[in-house]
Amino acid sequence: MSIGRVTTLAQVVCALVISAPLSAQDHTQHAPNASLAAATAGKPIKIADPTSVVLIVNRDSNDIGFMDIATKKMIGSVFLGNNVNPHMAMMSHDGRYVVTGGTRANKAYIIDVPTMTLVKEVPVGFAPEHLAFTPDGRYYYQGNPDGDSISVIDMVSMTEIKRIPGLVMPLNITFTPDGSKAYIGNYGAHWVGVIDVARHELLKRIEVGQMPGVAKFDPDRYLGDIKGVSNATITNDGRYIYAADGDLGIVGVIDTRDDKVIKTIRVGADPWRVYMSHDGRYAVTVNNGDETISVIDTGTNEVVATLEGGPDMTGVNFAAGKAFVISATSGFVYVYDATKWKPAGRIKIGVNLQLETATTDTADKTLYLASSTDHAIYVIDAATEAFEKVTGVGLYPWGTHVMESKDNYCH
Amino acid sequence: MTRWWDFAKSGPLFCLVVAGIGTSGGDANAQEGASAPTEPTSREQELQDRVDQLERRVGELESTTVLSEPETRVRQIEVYVDENGVEHETPQPGTRPVITYQREAVYRRQTISEKIDEAMEDAANRSVGVGVDAAIVLQNVQQTDGDDAPADGNTYELASADVFFTAGLAQNTVFFADIVGLSGTPPDNEVGGLTLLNGYAARLQNQNELTLREAWFMTELANQKLGLTAGRVDLTNFFDHNAVANDETSQFLSDALVNNPMLGLSENGAGLAAVFDPKSGFTAKFGYQQSSSTAQNLSDSLFYLGEVSKLFTPFNLGEGTYRAWLRSDNSSGSNQQAYGISADQKITAALTLFGRFGSAQTAGPRDEFYSFGFQLKNGVTFNPEDAWGMGYAQTELGAGDAEELLEGYYNLRMTQKMALFFHVTYATEKPLGAGEVSYLVPGVRFQATF
Repeated sequence: MSIGRVTTLAQVVCALVISAPLSAQDHTQHAPNASLAAATAGKPIKIADPTSVVLIVNRDSNDIGFMDIATKKMIGSVFLGNNVNPHMAMMSHDGRYVVTGGTRANKAYIIDVPTMTLVKEVPVGFAPEHLAFTPDGRYYYQGNPDGDSISVIDMVSMTEIKRIPGLVMPLNITFTPDGSKAYIGNYGAHWVGVIDVARHELLKRIEVGQMPGVAKFDPDRYLGDIKGVSNATITNDGRYIYAADGDLGIVGVIDTRDDKVIKTIRVGADPWRVYMSHDGRYAVTVNNGDETISVIDTGTNEVVATLEGGPDMTGVNFAAGKAFVISATSGFVYVYDATKWKPAGRIKIGVNLQLETATTDTADKTLYLASSTDHAIYVIDAATEAFEKVTGVGLYPWGTHVMESKDNYCH
Repeated sequence: MTRWWDFAKSGPLFCLVVAGIGTSGGDANAQEGASAPTEPTSREQELQDRVDQLERRVGELESTTVLSEPETRVRQIEVYVDENGVEHETPQPGTRPVITYQREAVYRRQTISEKIDEAMEDAANRSVGVGVDAAIVLQNVQQTDGDDAPADGNTYELASADVFFTAGLAQNTVFFADIVGLSGTPPDNEVGGLTLLNGYAARLQNQNELTLREAWFMTELANQKLGLTAGRVDLTNFFDHNAVANDETSQFLSDALVNNPMLGLSENGAGLAAVFDPKSGFTAKFGYQQSSSTAQNLSDSLFYLGEVSKLFTPFNLGEGTYRAWLRSDNSSGSNQQAYGISADQKITAALTLFGRFGSAQTAGPRDEFYSFGFQLKNGVTFNPEDAWGMGYAQTELGAGDAEELLEGYYNLRMTQKMALFFHVTYATEKPLGAGEVSYLVPGVRFQATF
């Protein structure tokens, strides 16, 4: 058999194996456009299994790195362009694409995972940062916090089909499991935006909590650098949203059936956001104002524990029955028993580091922690709390992502 | 669910090449070919290029209102130096690892606002931090029982201002100093109780002049599990903690509900505190402190203290911290011991209970003390950050004197830096050989911290 015939056969096989699930799952898969075909044609497959890699967002090398989970070796990276400054990356639900927003380029970037090829740059709003896919994978919402908008990107045409205005520094986007609505955390305000996903329109603004009566004595506190709602965290069943407000020091619980706040829960000072435990029983806030964490029982909506944390906490990961809280400037990851909610020590990653965020693997065994100033990823065994430093991952890693992980977040 | 990579991993030829991906991709190619525009003229192309260039420029201006100078950052790096002083990036035979610092270019442009923020943060980190804690306490004493006492009907005002300084000296090492000025009269001079009705004057000997309350260096060792503090210290800041009855600036005003008098510390002084805290809920502490301003050497009036504490969540309640301490001192001329416990237990998110007990050896029968009470906040207050509490304390000296004290307070947080407190204290003094005297002491406190 000639080389040419082998190549032809391979092309046919590749087309079949990829197109077969596409046609079988129309609700989750979408036909790629012409630019994708052109950009990837003839390129070798570098990633055959998207669940086998960790994405690394490198702000200063302006690329998305792909690290093999099994070997902890870099497979490669996709350069996005000079001064793009990517902020967060996410894999599509089918593992076919990686999307990211380039904060300094005002563009969204779509990467073809198998070939690790940048297939599309999409102009979006001002300073894009955080993002999310609709549950059916058809659209990708790119938040533009400085532009007070969300760009809706159609993954079929790979174009921005709409820009949703009327938001105030939208940071994070949360879809309901049925994909009918999206909840937007507005860090520049004290409300959660509700978007009708069918029409891509802002439906309503839910006030998380009210200013206390004594606020009029202290206008500088509220007129200064606002710390509103960073994220709307949804319960596993999609019934409730937990939205922390930094200035108010509360968590508002929103019933997604009628989009009303059913309870406000006072937590520590300046909560950054809520992180949901994997079993959905606890909602945890990191409170940078008083360096504590608050643990809310989602069954009773009461704070069941307030525990000492560290300075500048950026995230919470759950694994091996523990909660791991990242303290960005101290070089520590604080550990808690996530069943009894008691302190369980802390892991010293290093000194003079700037720890960013981490993701957890799907087995809930391993954390992948980005450390920006030493350009490294720390791979932490959740059970033993031993860790390994992986270098050469890119410059200034800002966050990591593992497909189907329950701890994919950014800061 | 079958996913594309399941097929991909099973296909032996998959990794050779990728052909047209998906059937629609082929169609799209075909359509694109069918509707391909005609070639632009050179003039049109030139204009299009110009428009593209301008669009890019506008995009850059919008997104990168940046300094033209590329960002740089100084990094700590490890290099390997050989016997000739030549640096290598990787280990080589005959080299030794050396930590050094090196500037690196960052392929990211900072916006002007980011740059200003960084500069201000950097300046703040390098400067000496200054804080102020000021309070004015107004108290009135009404005698309700017993023979006429000089305090009956009198009003007292005490103004207190703490100025404290903090500076970072080295890695995990800070210097702290607290200078306090007191002016005015607390009721304690005329009431003459076993414990102070105004805790601001506790462990301070001088009024109407500035006093150095504390001045110490603190460093952290052993992966920051061990903290060492040395200098002029107040060991009550390290021992006998309590979550809701330990701070006269935000909780109870009476010293009996701030500290355990059985600790025996009457003045701050030279000393050392070592705190082992692995952040696991268990803490061990040891310290010594001189507690006499007239001591001639470090062996005089020397207090040794040790404490262990543990965080528990009993009966599925919230967190509670339970502490036990021991003290030994030679202030009376011979070594005498004391012990005590301090506990706080969160019952609900709003309600926290506390309790203390202490017993101290004397020349005669032991002195004993206990207190208990609660604090409420979160939802049972006028404003979200308010808190209120009630506490009871009883002190019985071995010599026969006794005191009972009941205090309630409300902390009205007006702003982040300002609070107004309302206190009511009822104290009964039972001096040996004299009749009981009881006082009702309402008070108002204005507190500013910034």
